[in-house]
Order: sequence, then C-alpha cells, then structure tokens
Amino acid sequence: MGAHEMVDRIRAEAKEEGERILTEARVEAQERLAEVQRELNTQRKQFVEAEERKGAEEKDRIVRAARQQARRLKWAAEEELINTAFDNALDRLKTVKRSGFKGKSYADILAGLIKESAVSIAGGGGAGGAGAGAAMEVLLSEEDVKANYVDQPRLAKVAKELSAEAGVDGKLSLSNHRLKSAGGVLVRRTDGKIEVNNTFEQRMTRFSTSLREEIVKTLFAKTAS
Amino acid sequence: MAVEALRLIRGGEEEGRKVLEEARAKITAIQADTDEEIKRLKEQAREDEKRLAAEIAARYTAAGKKEEDAILQAARAEVEKLKTATKSNLDRAVELILARLLGVR
Repeated sequence: MGAHEMVDRIRAEAKEEGERILTEARVEAQERLAEVQRELNTQRKQFVEAEERKGAEEKDRIVRAARQQARRLKWAAEEELINTAFDNALDRLKTVKRSGFKGKSYADILAGLIKESAVSIAGGGGAGGAGAGAAMEVLLSEEDVKANYVDQPRLAKVAKELSAEAGVDGKLSLSNHRLKSAGGVLVRRTDGKIEVNNTFEQRMTRFSTSLREEIVKTLFAKTAS
Repeated sequence: MAVEALRLIRGGEEEGRKVLEEARAKITAIQADTDEEIKRLKEQAREDEKRLAAEIAARYTAAGKKEEDAILQAARAEVEKLKTATKSNLDRAVELILARLLGVR
C-alpha cells in the first residue's frame, strides 16, 4: 500500500468514524428528547387528572354549600312563619279578652286556668294530694283585675266546681299582689309552699316544644316536603 | 521518499484528527441543543400546567356556580310557594296556639 493510499484510508476511516459518532449522538439526542417528551406527557396526564379531581371537589363543595344555604333559607322561612303564628296569637289575646274564644268568655278561660292550677297544687289526685284542702290565692295582672274578670264570688264558684268536678277542696282568694303578664293566672298556696304559674308567657314557654311540632304540622300540612 | 511518505501519512492523520474533533464539537453542540430543548420543553410544560390548572379550576367553579344559582333559585321559589301555601293554614295555627295557651279544647 502506497503512502497516498494510506492517507486516503486514514481520511476515509476518520470521516466514517466522525459520521458514526455524529449519527450516534443524533440518535441519542432524539431518544433523550423522546424520553423527556414521554415523561412530560405522563406528568401532564397525571397533573390534569389531579386538577380535574380538585376541580370536581371544589364544585362539590360549592354545591354542598348551596344546598346547605337552601336548607337554611327554607328553615328561616319556616321559622318566620311559625313566629308569625305565635305573634298573631299574642295579638289575638286582646281580642280574646273582649270577645272570648271558642264560645268561652275570658272570665271562663281564667276560671279554667285557676281550676287547672288548683288541681296541680292539690297533686292532681284530689283529696289525697299534697295541696288538698289548702288555702290558695290567685294572682292576676293589674289589667285583668281592673277589668274585673275574676272577683271573690267567682272564685267561690270555682272552688265549688273544683270540689264537685275534681274532688279538690280548698279556699280560693284573690291576692293583692299583681302579675306582670299579658294575662293568665298564677295560683299558689297561701303558705307559699307550692305555686303553679299559668300566665300566658309561662304556658307559652312550657308548651313551646310540643306546640311547635303541632304548629309545624298545621302550618305545613299540605306543603311539607 | 520515505520521509515524504511519512509526511503525507502524518498530514493524513492530522486531517483525520481534525475530522473527528469537528465531529465531537458537533456532538457537543447537539447535546447542548438537546439540553436546551429539554429545558424549553420542561419550562413549557410548567407554563402549560399553570394554564391548565387555571382553566380546569375555572371550568369546575363555573359549573358549581351555575348549579349553586339553580339550587338557590329553586329554594327561593320553594320559600315563596311555602309562604303562599301556608297563608291559608296560618289562622288554624293561631287557633291551635290560642287553644293551648288559654286551656280551651
């Protein structure tokens, strides 16, 4: 082999080697890019899935809050209606004092409350009760006393009826003390040991829970959902 | 003659070395370009993620708000319906309260 041929061969081999390592580098670069692209695609897919989950959770949160607010709106409206019923009932008390209720005069209504209180004081069991035979006094509001709904003769009549109807014997007298109340009565033993408060405010408080349930049933009878 | 031959061969070897050096320089450039491209792709992916996150969040929030509006609108309508429907029952409820309050059956 001559020197020229050797030089040509050296050149050719160098060129070939150069092209080989260049091609290899290009392939390697393409592979690296493809690998990175694959990783980024996977990462993007996972990212989108996670963000979709987060988004769906946020949407659920908004919807849950809206449903809660809707329930609050309905609850507030129901409360408003119930309170309106209570307010109207209290307003009607003035009319009841003038015109009575369900055919009963206010005086009759007070007499009924006095009887109910006296029976409670007597222990509900008539002659054998704790308050049986005790002297009791009846307290009224200033307004009701002035209107003379209940006087001593009336109390004597109530006492008689109590004895006949419930077996509760006892003397009833009108107290000099006055109630700060819209109406109703407070009956207590004169020794002060037992008292039954049947003022409208107390009755309202006492019956409010069971009364509310009945009012809800009545008010929302056809509209309950 | 032999000296000339050696000079030629050395020249050839030198050329070959240069060819390989050039190839290696190109490889270095290819690698640098690849690194740069990878960096660009990752940066673009980060930007895409920010944009996608905002788009997805906005889409779900809008859907949630739409449903929220519908729920609240329905609730308000239901409340109005309730108020109208209970008007006729209000007097009965008042009677009930009074009956209990006054102890009248």
